Amino acid sequence: MADDEAPPGWSYNPSSWGQRIPIVGLAVVGVAIATYLTLFQVGVIASVWEPFFGDGSRTILNSRISRLLPIPDAALGALGYLADAVTGAIGGKKRWKTMPWIVIVFGLAVGPLGGISILLVISQPILLNAWCTLCLASAVVSVLMIGPAMDEMLASLQYVKRQRDLGRSAWSVLWGGDDAEPAMAT
Amino acid sequence: MKIFTSGAWARLLNAGLGVWLMAAPAVLGYGAPASTSDRLVGPIAASFAIIAIWEATRAVRRVNSAAGVWLVIAPFLLGFGRTAMINSMLVGISMLILSRVRGEVSGSYGGGWRALWRRAD
Repeated sequence: MADDEAPPGWSYNPSSWGQRIPIVGLAVVGVAIATYLTLFQVGVIASVWEPFFGDGSRTILNSRISRLLPIPDAALGALGYLADAVTGAIGGKKRWKTMPWIVIVFGLAVGPLGGISILLVISQPILLNAWCTLCLASAVVSVLMIGPAMDEMLASLQYVKRQRDLGRSAWSVLWGGDDAEPAMAT
Repeated sequence: MKIFTSGAWARLLNAGLGVWLMAAPAVLGYGAPASTSDRLVGPIAASFAIIAIWEATRAVRRVNSAAGVWLVIAPFLLGFGRTAMINSMLVGISMLILSRVRGEVSGSYGGGWRALWRRAD
């Protein structure tokens, strides 16, 4: 039941909207949480929602670690989720081969970049001995996006590899534009 | 992308064990170094268990195997108290066993990640 737009050797198309919309939806939730936390960090709102850990959120969001960079860490998180949402939404149903570069940027934003944000959240209870409900919620959002996003990146990387094996330059293939994949011997 | 792939129960149990490790130092009342180990390994194990639910990233269940081994040996390497040691070892053995559940892979993925390293012939 492989559909026409599925990559060769795949049982489904990882670039279909059904595959991508849930990830974009999660990224939008991430933007909302991180924007809310940013508003607290920059002082636009005076208190932050914390149902479980007492002063935990306040301790973490006002910590020195959260201000190591010129902009608050939640603002970086919001930008990261925004990048996930935008690169998840750009391109059509065949983007695994028409725009490999955007799929790979999407995969790197969700995967390794998401991993770094998860590590930041992990460091909070260890370094500050405090917990922050919404920081944990945003880490859960990051984790949930990784599994479903990696398959599409795999399809694009396989496509670039196949084209390179056929003698095309990987660099030009990366930028895509080709709708029809030249026939290849298997 | 199917949400509940085969073997998802093992992944979810491992994620639960990871979350338990995050809470355990406060619930059972022990401190460093055991609490540091558990607060680090717990969320990492939970994250990779969730990522391994999806078929294309199933292979990362091996991270849970490694975490299981660490939890078994850490009490001896770092010197945990009795409660923390028993908890770490029980969770570690369970996590190791659960991470060995492979689950079926029903979709096909064009040769998977391995295809990227295969030489052109």
